[in-house]
Amino acid sequence: MKLSSSACSIARIPSLFASLCRPICSTSLSLSPSSLKPTTPLFLRPPTFSTSLSELNKWHHWAKNLASSVGSSFVHLDNGPDSTLLCRELRWLLEDSLEDHSLISQLGSQNYHMDVRLRASLDELYVLWRQRIEERRPFQYIVGCEHWRDLVLSVQEGVLIPRPETELIVDLVKDVVLDSRELKEGLWADLGTGSGAIAIGIGRILWSQGRVIATDLSPVAVAVATYNVLRYDLKDMIEVRKGSWFEPLKDVEGKLAGVVSNPPYIPSDDISRLQAEVGQHEPRLALDGGVSGMDDLLHLSNGAVSMLKPGGFFVFETNGEKQCQFLVDYMENNNPGKFCNVNIVSDFAGIQRFVTGFINDKCH
Amino acid sequence: MSSLILKRSFNRSLLLSQNPCTETLLVPSLFSSLSELQVKSLHSSGLRNFPSLDQNYKFLLSGFSSFLLKTVERPSRSHFRVSKRYLSSRWRERYRVLTSRICALQRNNSAFSSVLPSSVTLPCESNKDQLHSRRFRMFSTKAAVELSTSHGLTVDRIVANNWTILDESESDWKSHAAAISQSIQVIKKRLQWKKLKLRLDLLSAELNKPDLWGDPVHAGKISREHGSLMAKMKQVTAFEQELLEHIDMIKLAREEDDTELESESLNALLRMRRNSKEKELQALLAGEQDSCSCYMEVQAGAGGTESMDWAKMVMQMYKLWAQRQGYKVTVVDEMPGEIAGIKRATIKVDGEYAFGYAKAEVGVHRLVRISPFDSAKRRHTSFAAVAVIPILGDGSTHVQINESDLRIERFRAGGAGGQHVNTTESAVRIVHIPTGITATCQNERSQHMNKASAMAVLQSRLDRLEMARQAQMNAQHTHSLTEISWGNQIRTYVLHPYRMVKDLRTNYEVSDPDTVLGGAIDGFILSYLSASVDKDEDYQ
Repeated sequence: MKLSSSACSIARIPSLFASLCRPICSTSLSLSPSSLKPTTPLFLRPPTFSTSLSELNKWHHWAKNLASSVGSSFVHLDNGPDSTLLCRELRWLLEDSLEDHSLISQLGSQNYHMDVRLRASLDELYVLWRQRIEERRPFQYIVGCEHWRDLVLSVQEGVLIPRPETELIVDLVKDVVLDSRELKEGLWADLGTGSGAIAIGIGRILWSQGRVIATDLSPVAVAVATYNVLRYDLKDMIEVRKGSWFEPLKDVEGKLAGVVSNPPYIPSDDISRLQAEVGQHEPRLALDGGVSGMDDLLHLSNGAVSMLKPGGFFVFETNGEKQCQFLVDYMENNNPGKFCNVNIVSDFAGIQRFVTGFINDKCH
Repeated sequence: MSSLILKRSFNRSLLLSQNPCTETLLVPSLFSSLSELQVKSLHSSGLRNFPSLDQNYKFLLSGFSSFLLKTVERPSRSHFRVSKRYLSSRWRERYRVLTSRICALQRNNSAFSSVLPSSVTLPCESNKDQLHSRRFRMFSTKAAVELSTSHGLTVDRIVANNWTILDESESDWKSHAAAISQSIQVIKKRLQWKKLKLRLDLLSAELNKPDLWGDPVHAGKISREHGSLMAKMKQVTAFEQELLEHIDMIKLAREEDDTELESESLNALLRMRRNSKEKELQALLAGEQDSCSCYMEVQAGAGGTESMDWAKMVMQMYKLWAQRQGYKVTVVDEMPGEIAGIKRATIKVDGEYAFGYAKAEVGVHRLVRISPFDSAKRRHTSFAAVAVIPILGDGSTHVQINESDLRIERFRAGGAGGQHVNTTESAVRIVHIPTGITATCQNERSQHMNKASAMAVLQSRLDRLEMARQAQMNAQHTHSLTEISWGNQIRTYVLHPYRMVKDLRTNYEVSDPDTVLGGAIDGFILSYLSASVDKDEDYQ
């Protein structure tokens, strides 16, 4: 209830956004906020469409057959979804489109003339599911949201869909924040925030004095992240700034308690071989990390030294074992003595995914 | 003030309760005066009158005390209603008649008590509370007093009289009374009355130990169990008491030729009779965890697609059953078969008494039919196993899980992960390394939520394991262990060559498998629950 009511405030975003940013970062705002209005996720749209249960049933039957026809062909093609997964997505699409979820169990029953209230027209549902299967448009863009941790974040084309692996960054922050009042009440930065996922995740575990600045180069990302921050009522805690990496953070140099980032880390040559949902639909800006995939990670690790205050904490997500090892070596060789407790942390699939560590207290 | 004084005299009577009651002749006169006093206090609130009255009756109270004591021991919610009406209305006159009559029959305690405590406690709420707490304490040490009417009629005697039980619509008090009495016996049997009383005595003794709270965890457990058993017992006793009171009323009304009172009491009996069936049912679900929500798990037996399809049918049967019951059903984990059906699945059934009912389904379910997956149209027998795990409430003690004992894995993970992959598959599996117990959840839309759900399943599984371990140490509870452990074949569903569902434990059978598979399993559940509880003949 709370979420949907705050979602209504979407119209107010531009003005709120402007006032939020002005006092701190008047220079970094090249974006004219009014030009970008984020799309409302399907599940938050009003149920203004209606159809009969039999029509919906027909659509569902069609959609299910379409999903089943995929079999495991996408899996073989590019490790895409199989029909089991697509059928589950279909159920979620229904959940998000229907006003009354209990109807899902009644699909296929005899009560055919019953009126059904929908958040999208039946025609649109046909188009959406065709896009899902035939164009491989990501499910999260279809429904306009991604369930991530305990959040439901708005996403749309132009914004990277937050990955399940990245949820762990918040857990890693939670672990260090538990022991340290300074970190709990400090200023954090989420660089390349995209939908704002990590920033919001962290914003919800910090104490009320804590602050997060989320930056992104993409105007779409800035608009969507702002929308999500408002939806979770965190506008007093999280500030979204437009700009590349540390650029919009010059005013807080050396003051950050923590820096987190899931920067683009896929080597440029791999982009063309990506799963269709990723390669053909998600923003290249958020994926392509240069020839080795390490361009931005190296930039971030260099910047962290001057941006973080002594005892400050960082987490960076990487492409896997190779990048993790490389980054750890790089930090030790390029900035000897600056970092301490540098660690590699694996994701739940057992892949070395994150590099974490602190800025050494003594070196400053 | 008035209540204070009354309380004082009341307390004194308790203090003096050791004295033998020999002055029986005094009682009637005392009682009628006392009741007059109460009536006065209600209507005139004659404060100044009390001290002297209190003095005057001091000596009388000593001889009177044993009745008072018994009075106090009795749960008496129902009398408040009855007596209040008497006191506050035109029934006052009758009240005096009734009380004196009862006092004349002083050997009978219950009818006597039905009037007295209310008259003592009515004037003030706080006094009533005091009475309640006192009664509670007394009750805990001395629970067993056989209740009877003024004519010495008890529930057992009513049943022994073998009065004909007529249809509800017949206005015959004996028929109602006999039906209610039978129910009370069934309820007592189901609650294992005798064991319940022994257990209560044991707990009371434990509670009275001065060093009890040295171990607060243990003390909390004891006092919680005591409280819950006490509540169960009080409910039944109150019901019994109410029955006997109404019988008394009817007899009185007949003697007084008061048709209004008679029909009122008769109606009350009818209400009780209708209520009693529900109470019988409630008594079936008196186990410690019965009121909990639960997880239900179905696993396909050997036999490939045919048995996986059967497992799915069984799971569907439970989903429909739970929905009918008004429970909230969530799929926690589902492992689909390659061609059809499920290899296994877990659902969460949320609602009061979900575990109490669902536990009757634990075991192996057998299906006989012509398999739709067999091109040769042969008859197949398949099996599906059902497990049910209670979800313990916040009040219960859970097994402590160390984070370091867990291994959390991404389920069905493959490839590079991270930004390379966009998948809505975010299932996790949690392995509890010391026990090897695992839990998986893949139904939630985020990995975080899947992990949380899987943790909840893991917690319940570990709790169940711990309960089983404790039950093994405690021979008294081995009975409940067999109830919740993975049982043997319990039910057969035959779709061909004939149609029938039969429970092998109770021989309960139904000739329409479709409705059963559509969730109509209440008959099976209730017959099993009654059979498993009612087999213990010795109830008192």
